[in-house]
Amino acid sequence: MLKKRNKIKQFFLLIILILTALSGCGEFKDIDKDVFVSMIGIDLSDDPEKPYKVTLKLYVPTSSFKQSPKPEYTYLTKNGKTLTEAIRILETHSDKEIDFGHSKLIVIGEELLNANKSKEIMDFLLRRPDIQMISWLAIGRPSAEEIIKMVPQSETAAYPALFNYFDHNGTDSPYIVTTYLFDFRRKMLETGIDPILPLIEINKEEEHFEVNKSYVLAHDKKPHELSSLDTLIFNMMTRNLDVADLVINEDNQHFIAKIDNINSKYKVKVDAQHQVKLNIDIELFGYISESKDTISNQQLPQYSKMVEAETREKFSDFFIKMLNVGYDPIGFGLAYKSKTLHNKRMSPNEWNEAYKNSKVNIKVMAGIKSTGSIQ
Amino acid sequence: MSRYYYYLVLINMIANVIASVPAILLHFHDDGAVSAMIVSVVAGSTLVFFFTRFFTHFPGMTLPELLQKTTAKWFYNPFILVLAITWFIAGMITLITYTFLLIRYLTPEMPIIQISLTILLAVILGCLMKTDRVFYTIEIILLLTVPLIILIFIKAYTNENLRWEFVKEAALYFNQFPNLNAFSACFFLYLGSANLIIFNRFFKNKQNFGVKQITLIVAISIMTLFTTYFIPIGFNGVEGIEKLVYPWITTSDSLRMKFSLIERVLFIFLLFYLGIAFLSILIHWHVSIELLKYVFNFEKFKFKGFKFGVFLPIPFYIGVSLYFVRQLNEYQLFRLSGIFYNILIIFFPMMLILFFFIKRRMKNVKKAEQN
Repeated sequence: MLKKRNKIKQFFLLIILILTALSGCGEFKDIDKDVFVSMIGIDLSDDPEKPYKVTLKLYVPTSSFKQSPKPEYTYLTKNGKTLTEAIRILETHSDKEIDFGHSKLIVIGEELLNANKSKEIMDFLLRRPDIQMISWLAIGRPSAEEIIKMVPQSETAAYPALFNYFDHNGTDSPYIVTTYLFDFRRKMLETGIDPILPLIEINKEEEHFEVNKSYVLAHDKKPHELSSLDTLIFNMMTRNLDVADLVINEDNQHFIAKIDNINSKYKVKVDAQHQVKLNIDIELFGYISESKDTISNQQLPQYSKMVEAETREKFSDFFIKMLNVGYDPIGFGLAYKSKTLHNKRMSPNEWNEAYKNSKVNIKVMAGIKSTGSIQ
Repeated sequence: MSRYYYYLVLINMIANVIASVPAILLHFHDDGAVSAMIVSVVAGSTLVFFFTRFFTHFPGMTLPELLQKTTAKWFYNPFILVLAITWFIAGMITLITYTFLLIRYLTPEMPIIQISLTILLAVILGCLMKTDRVFYTIEIILLLTVPLIILIFIKAYTNENLRWEFVKEAALYFNQFPNLNAFSACFFLYLGSANLIIFNRFFKNKQNFGVKQITLIVAISIMTLFTTYFIPIGFNGVEGIEKLVYPWITTSDSLRMKFSLIERVLFIFLLFYLGIAFLSILIHWHVSIELLKYVFNFEKFKFKGFKFGVFLPIPFYIGVSLYFVRQLNEYQLFRLSGIFYNILIIFFPMMLILFFFIKRRMKNVKKAEQN
């Protein structure tokens, strides 16, 4: 018994000896020696030698919330031949280690978008292991730098207001597109679906952001801007939206239908001659939220008809526009590929041609269930 | 069958997610990976069935003991040595893969030797334990990690960003000729039951292994294979998927738990898989060290009555692992695991032939004992 206890003592002594060897963690950096990036902005600079302009928004560390109830940031900006070069020089501008692991938003300037450099940017963002694949990607107008440097009045400390737009946690407007970095990557590489990015604009006078438009883009193609209405239609087609407002202006009737239930489906049919048919099926249910004239309960079926006609028109406008520019943000090409054996598929070029000449068939079923609280 | 047996099978299946298996499979996504998976389900479960059936005939006996009874010394000594080396390499590949993951994603500032040493020390202490204790360790760690790993999988399946169209597109490559490399990578998932060559020591009672048990294993394996292959595709698309070095790491980074303590699932995933990787290395190296005990007579190394023989292979294990951790790059590791898996698909069916002979000779041995 005694012998055993001795052995245990010896064992613990040994462990303590080993533990002393662990004391110096020379490689580890304390948290106060790190500075965290909250957003990354990438712009096109004026200097053709150094085309990239990187802007970083950094959280200023404070010891307590009471000390600084207002948000505080510092900004670093640098031009560079490559993105890494710019960041490497930025690291000499800060006394602390720059940590990208907490950055949640990447803003790309509108000019850079048109400069056709998406490949290089994407490569940088994806290759770095510390940049989150779940960071949001957006386009800034007029430039990423201005978007990043603006702090709106509604901003609270520690959580930038801009994040709330994409979080689906604060505002959940049907006009906002949310694109994660991994989503952008897969859509960029895949033929048959094109990535879509939200566009952030600034309202200078009132100091707030406006996010209700978007951009569709592809390799070697001019990016195409989607208006607010087109963005709404895109969201109605792809996201499980809960709410949408439709302005109806027909037969001297002017009212706004508040849709609270949307079901949208699409099917791609291809016949032997490679003629593509896009069958789109939309179901809308809702009530009337605003009207210029009095509205009668008995006429609800007529109102539904009007909503159907109006919606069909708007949707077909959207799809004709998309077909004309050859963009496919919804992913009809992908839907086609997911139903056709790989050796029987059209080549990407063949598909693009067929897609442009496809017939769009829109079926809308609207049900206006109520006139709201008054008739 | 005892539940401990399923742990062996299960760990090999779950652990493959962080090994090179998904990378190999996705590399051949347009070259016969899907059909290889289907073929491997049949081949793999056949192997599991015969392997396990063989060992249920000899409760509590390890393969080296059976070999010593039935074959000549010139055969069984080198053969057991080869087995020990195989199991050592299997563990080492997991170790190196996981070390690479840690340095790339979790602790980029730590020296690579230090990372691998921390894992190595824990594993070495573990694999010197007795077989039953190893099993108890496995059970505790599995109980802690597997529910959370399953939670991550469920989160992945229910995520709105998982596009089933990509999955369907990839699945439609099923009509190709199976790819050999992809097949051998899938086949590796089924080799968990091969650990019985040592772990059978624990199953002293007669075990029952029939249709019910093999159906369960086949069901689990199909689910694991499906998850391993199609979830990364659902998140990252089909085209360009072969460019991902660690498909599952990228996939777990594409998951977001909005209201969780840690939003980025990647870190949770890495942490839980640290447990699984530890278990996988532990099992493989335990088998390896136990096999070595049959080849070399460690008992004779004594110093003042203290038997230090068991510790002799340890410096060798650590040294070789550290050497390869420093020497290999990602591509070489990928190739090495590919070649290793390819060798195994020849090696294990051959062992079945050997088992056939052992079974026949054991009958004679038993008869001789009765007389």
